[in-house]
Parts: sequence; C-alpha cells; structure tokens
Amino acid sequence: MATQTGPSSKSVLGRLLPEGVETEQVIVHGGLLLSIFLMGLPLLLALVMSTQNTTEVYQITNIGVGSEGLSNYQTALNQYGFGEYMINSVVMSVIIVVGKVTLSLFAALALVYYRFPYERAVFMFILLTLLLPVPVRIVPLFDLMARLGWGNTLMAITGPYIASATAVFLFRQHFMSIPASLVENAHLDGVGPLRFLWEVLIPMSKGMIAGVSVITFIYAWNQYLWPLIIISDQSKQVVQVGLRFLQAASQSGLTRWGLIMAGAVIALLPPLVVLIVLHRPLLKTLAIQQK
Amino acid sequence: MSEFTEPYESKWQAFLLLLPTFIVLIAFLYYPGLETFRLSLSQTILLGSQKVFVGLENYVTLATSSEYHSSFAISVAFAAVVVIGTLAVSLFVSYLLFEVDVGSSTYLIAAIWPYALPTAVAASVLLFLLHPSLGIITYYLEQLTGTSLDWFTNGPQAFAVVAVVAIWKQLGYNIIFMVAALNNIPETLTESAEIDGVGHLKMLYRVYIPLMSPTLVFLVVMDTIYAFFSTFPLVDLMTSGGPSGATNLLIFKLYRDAFEFSSLGLASAESVVLFAIVAILMYVQLRLSESYAHYGG
Repeated sequence: MATQTGPSSKSVLGRLLPEGVETEQVIVHGGLLLSIFLMGLPLLLALVMSTQNTTEVYQITNIGVGSEGLSNYQTALNQYGFGEYMINSVVMSVIIVVGKVTLSLFAALALVYYRFPYERAVFMFILLTLLLPVPVRIVPLFDLMARLGWGNTLMAITGPYIASATAVFLFRQHFMSIPASLVENAHLDGVGPLRFLWEVLIPMSKGMIAGVSVITFIYAWNQYLWPLIIISDQSKQVVQVGLRFLQAASQSGLTRWGLIMAGAVIALLPPLVVLIVLHRPLLKTLAIQQK
Repeated sequence: MSEFTEPYESKWQAFLLLLPTFIVLIAFLYYPGLETFRLSLSQTILLGSQKVFVGLENYVTLATSSEYHSSFAISVAFAAVVVIGTLAVSLFVSYLLFEVDVGSSTYLIAAIWPYALPTAVAASVLLFLLHPSLGIITYYLEQLTGTSLDWFTNGPQAFAVVAVVAIWKQLGYNIIFMVAALNNIPETLTESAEIDGVGHLKMLYRVYIPLMSPTLVFLVVMDTIYAFFSTFPLVDLMTSGGPSGATNLLIFKLYRDAFEFSSLGLASAESVVLFAIVAILMYVQLRLSESYAHYGG
C-alpha cells in the first residue's frame, strides 16, 4: 500500500531514518500508537486507581500504584456482592448463548433444508423482530413477567433473549453457502435431520457458531436496563447493575472511587477476554452480518 | 432450488424445528410489542389496578409537553453528535490500520477492544476520570485550557461528556466494519491511483469513502439506533438526565415515566415513538442497501 518515495522527496524525518524505512510508515505507526494509547488510557488509569485508597484517590494527580494493592478487588467481590453478581452474569450469559445458538441452528435447518409453504413469510416474520428492541416493548414485557411470576428469576433475564433474528439470519446464510453435493451425499445415505445437523452442519459451521457465540455473549453481558427493572432482589442481580449499587459505597463520607474502579475492571474482564481469544471468528461473522 | 438442496420433505419436522424460536418471538417480542400499542391508548388509575381507554390522549400529552419536546430534541442532537464523532474517529483509525505495513493484527485488536466494553463500565470509569473535582483528566484539561469545567451543573458540558463516553464505547464496532470495507477494495484500484500520484487525503475522499459507502450507511443506521436505545446506562450512572434535563434522552425519560412515575400508558406511547424511529432507520438501511446492490457499489 506504500507509495514509492524517491530519495529526493524524503522529508527531514525521512533523511534521519535508516535506509529502507519510509517516512510515511513512521507517521502511520505513530498515529496508530497515539490513537490506541488514547483509547486505552481511561482503562489504564482505572487499573492504577483501582489499587488506591480513598486518600490517594483524592490526591488527583497521583497516578502511582496505590497502597490497597488488590484489596479493593477483594472488597468488591466479598463485601459488595460482586462475587455473586459475577456468577449471576456468567450464568445468564451462558444460558443466552447456548439457548440462542441451539434455537437458531434448528430454525436455520428448517429454513434451508426443508420445503414448506410460506417459507419466505416465515423468514420475514423472524427478521421483522429486529424492529422490536427491548425499550419498544418494555412495559408489557414487565407486565407479562409479573403475571408469569418470573420476577427475580433467571427465566426473566434469559427467556426474552434466546431467540434472535440476527443469529437465524447468520446461520441461514452460512448453510446456504455449504455445497449442495455434501447435502446430497447425506441425503443418499438416508441421514435424518438431527444427525445431519450434528454430523455434517455443525462441524462445518464451527467458525460461524463461535462468532455468533461471541457476539451474543458480549451483548448479553452488557444488559443493564432490563435486569435493573425485572430483578429487585439484589442477590440475584447481574454485575453491570452491580456497578450502580457500588456508586453508593463510601468511607467516612467519601466515595470509594478505588473500589468502584476495581468493580469496573471486574465487570469488563470476561467479555474482553472472550473478544481477545475469539476475535478471528468474530470478525468473520460480523463481515457477513452487514449483508 | 433443486430437490437435493432441500432434501427433507416433512412439514411437521420443519414446524417442530421452528417452534422454539416462534414461541420465544411471539411470547416475548410480538405479543408485548403489540401490547405496547394497545397500552399507549390507555391510562392506569387506582395505583395501576385499572386501565381505562383514553384514545390518543397520551400522544396529545407527548405532543404538547415541552419536557418531551426537549427530550426529543436532545436525543436527536445526541445521536447526530455520536454518529458523526464515532464515524470520524473510526475512519481515521481504520485508515491508519489499512495503511500500516507491519503489526496490523496486533494493532487491530488494540483498536477494536471497546466492542467488548460494557456501557456501564465505560460510564463508571469516565464518571470518575472526568469528575469535576476529582477527575485526573478534568484536572489536566482545566490546566490546558485555563477554563473551569463543571459538568455536574453545566448542561452543555454534561451533554458533551456523555457523548464522548458513548463514542468511546462505539469505536470498536465501527472500526471492525470499516477495516473490513477498506480491505475489500480491489488492490488494482489503489495501485493505479498511486501511479497517478493521487495524494492520501484525496484518495480517502475520492476513492475509499465512495467505495465504502454501503458500510458507512449501515454504520450510520446502527450508530443511530445505538445512540437512541443503548445509552441508558450512561445517563443513569453519570447524570440522571440532568443538569436540568440537558441529558434527558428519550430512553431515560421512558424509564422514569414507566418505572418511577408509573405512567404506563404515557410510557407506552413513548415506546411507540421509539418504534417509529427504529422502523424508519431500518427502512432507510434497506432501501439504500438495495440501491447499492442495483448499482453494484
């Protein structure tokens, strides 16, 4: 992608550099390092401040590692319920991921490998739910949960999320790209649909399943408004809403910001680790989603 | 499609495979979605024990409420700032990622991580770092600009702070799509432009941005939906809609009307307005992506 810059067109910076290193690339690397530094700076500061006690936090320009070490993390986990919140968030997110992937694989199997009347209408029916994000149906959904007696339950924070237009769409696209000859072979062997799904489709869709799982996990983990409303029993709350409770944490009238930063770091770690480990399938899957 | 690509005939099996998805979509999406419309025509009385039909009264209330007007205007302005800010910063970073010769995959992860950043975490961290009296970033900003910042009492400043946090969180998502779009541009095009000696900025404006336009339209739509629907934790944790309504986004007002003031009918009417917004945006996206498909862009 680099342009050919002859020696005559080299800038002052260019002349200072060893032969073969281009001025342009130095600027690109510099720009990238600066951008990435600025994007990551709040997180670095939060990490440092999460080790400080209240006195150190109140010395505004103090960016040294504080005297609390990791004890703010212990306090958040043990005394402010973050241990419980984290477990609740993990359980909720895993149920949503497994449920959504399973249900969507079934639906895509039906849409791609079966012939039935009104196929297009069925697909549109699923896709149109994109028009109904939670805030559009929040009051009746709350009502419904109350009538079902699901307030304060895992069912309430997972049930509405385990079917999805996006996941069905992605699996459908992927199945349609699988060569017909493979399907033909399976058919000639008289393989039933569930064995076909398990033995042929799923092994051929590992990347896509991983990608959908990452998108879903990050999305589920980020839920805030709905759990805030439907979960009133604090011990059953998820970690994002736990950050709201933590704002009230104070010590002799001073907000414990070090503790809040520790809580924020804890609540960020799982999705961040998932993103870093599984970024390849995530990027591939998102590339298809746009279509 | 040939018989072999749709090998299974049993309509019952197809129905059973679709059933779980249908149950969830009908029970938790379509049913409450339709109920929202019905509830928006009613009002609850006697502490919510009774509903009475009031026709369009809730909509009239919204149409004549200056508080709702200002919340609407603020939300539109907020979406505009977030969309433009996110696109501008993401385009800059994505172009650098596209141009860099070595280490691009490491740089990419370091640039897209905010995709995994929960909104409530972003809000908590910057609430502290930008705190008017305790925030280290505020401190250095004040030193640098010689002004005093107090977004706990200054409306426009609070608006700006919430917008910055919203943009920060959304960068990863945008960079992912922009880098993919840039990498899809045929190399021959880039090379021939380079032979012609076209400069970098000119390349970006004349070649890359037009070729990226389907992705950019998609991102404008997704970022706008994000700004309207996913920014609740920012307002809830950072400003509670204040000071004096400066950050009272529609989503936050909806939450308070429904779950603090128990005006369920009014809140449902607000939900219907949000539905209209998402429907218009999706329609725009659909029409524009169709037109790109037609012109092969």
